Amino acid sequence: MSTARARPIEKFARAVAQCSSQGAAYGKCIAADFNNVKKDKCIDDFLKLKECYMAALKKK
Amino acid sequence: MNCISRSLRRARIGTGFSTVQRRCYAVQAPGNPPPEVFNEKHKWLQRERAASKPEASRQVDALRDEIASRLCERLLDIKRDFSNVLDLGAGPCTIARTLTQPNPDPDSTQPITAPLSTRISNLTCVDTSPTLLHRDASLPFNHLLPSLTRTVVPTLEQPLPFAPNTFNAILSCLSLHWVNDLPGLLGHCNALLCPDSPFIGAMLGGDTLYELRTSLQLAEMSLLGGTAQHMSPLADVRDVGGVLQRAGFKLLTVDIDDLVIEFPSVFDLMVDLQAMGESNAAVMREPSGLRRDVMAAAEAIYRELHGEDGNEGVPATFRIIYMIGWKEGEGQQTPLERGSGMVSIKEVLEGKKEGSGDDK
Repeated sequence: MSTARARPIEKFARAVAQCSSQGAAYGKCIAADFNNVKKDKCIDDFLKLKECYMAALKKK
Repeated sequence: MNCISRSLRRARIGTGFSTVQRRCYAVQAPGNPPPEVFNEKHKWLQRERAASKPEASRQVDALRDEIASRLCERLLDIKRDFSNVLDLGAGPCTIARTLTQPNPDPDSTQPITAPLSTRISNLTCVDTSPTLLHRDASLPFNHLLPSLTRTVVPTLEQPLPFAPNTFNAILSCLSLHWVNDLPGLLGHCNALLCPDSPFIGAMLGGDTLYELRTSLQLAEMSLLGGTAQHMSPLADVRDVGGVLQRAGFKLLTVDIDDLVIEFPSVFDLMVDLQAMGESNAAVMREPSGLRRDVMAAAEAIYRELHGEDGNEGVPATFRIIYMIGWKEGEGQQTPLERGSGMVSIKEVLEGKKEGSGDDK
């Protein structure tokens, strides 16, 4: 996009893209048993992912 | 009448209490409105907004262009001249642009034919969103068509401002999946067509974007413990034939095409859908939209479940349902009457008896 300011979703997408290893760990955890997903499943992996992308967002 | 007189009699016989019992015939109210699945106003806003940025909107035309070219290929099979054609839900007049190209499919092995537009004398493009409809009004393809009319209608659900038996063909590319009353609209299209004229449509349906749908559901289940509707419901392939038949079309053909497009990430897919004006517009949608952590989780799950090894991006499936129906007309092929078959197809298939030409 040619606009000067990046849209929030673009910033967020870039931040999440920097956390591919944490994302893969979370994805694997959910995909291992995706027929039986309940609340807070794989929450530890997700919190690691969240920590990573929040840090990446702050860096900018 | 009967009901009223009986209740009066009971009231008179009764002992002063006003315990009037009424029994009436159950009558279904005529003109029951069809269930409202999509919010039309919201859809209109989304498409207006998308078209207000022409550059971004043109960048995501690829899918629409591809499907329009496949749709126009089906028109090539009909060896006729069309004096009056309607493009229903035209968007940025994609079909008009495709019709002016020498060959609908540039990679085709068939010899290059003259543009289809030479066989069409008058094309009417109808859409609800004026900005989207007039987005490409200044491009050169507009002058290649003998006559191109753009008509803005307030809604596709109400009868369109045309007289019955007006059009020699009705085309529709990727607009029918936002219509609440599909049987009603198709029935109306049938009325607008001249006898023995085709309706050719392409709509998204079935398993379109099932990867995104399932990833969002899994992400919400694991983070929030429940799911909300973030993607609109779509028609199934099996229903389309029935709907066409109900609308009175004959000689039906329904077929599907799966297009798998690779996107760099889920976010790019969602941004592109928004730029196409194809965001969720279901009435029952989650009003607050997607939370950021759900998006991040969905991206991770999408990549793991549906991403292919060695590919950077993630695949997204679009299932397109093509439908062709003909309005009834004289000299049209019709099925034989029920019970008029003289040859058992079972015997023919088993090779016991040769199928002969005189069987009826």
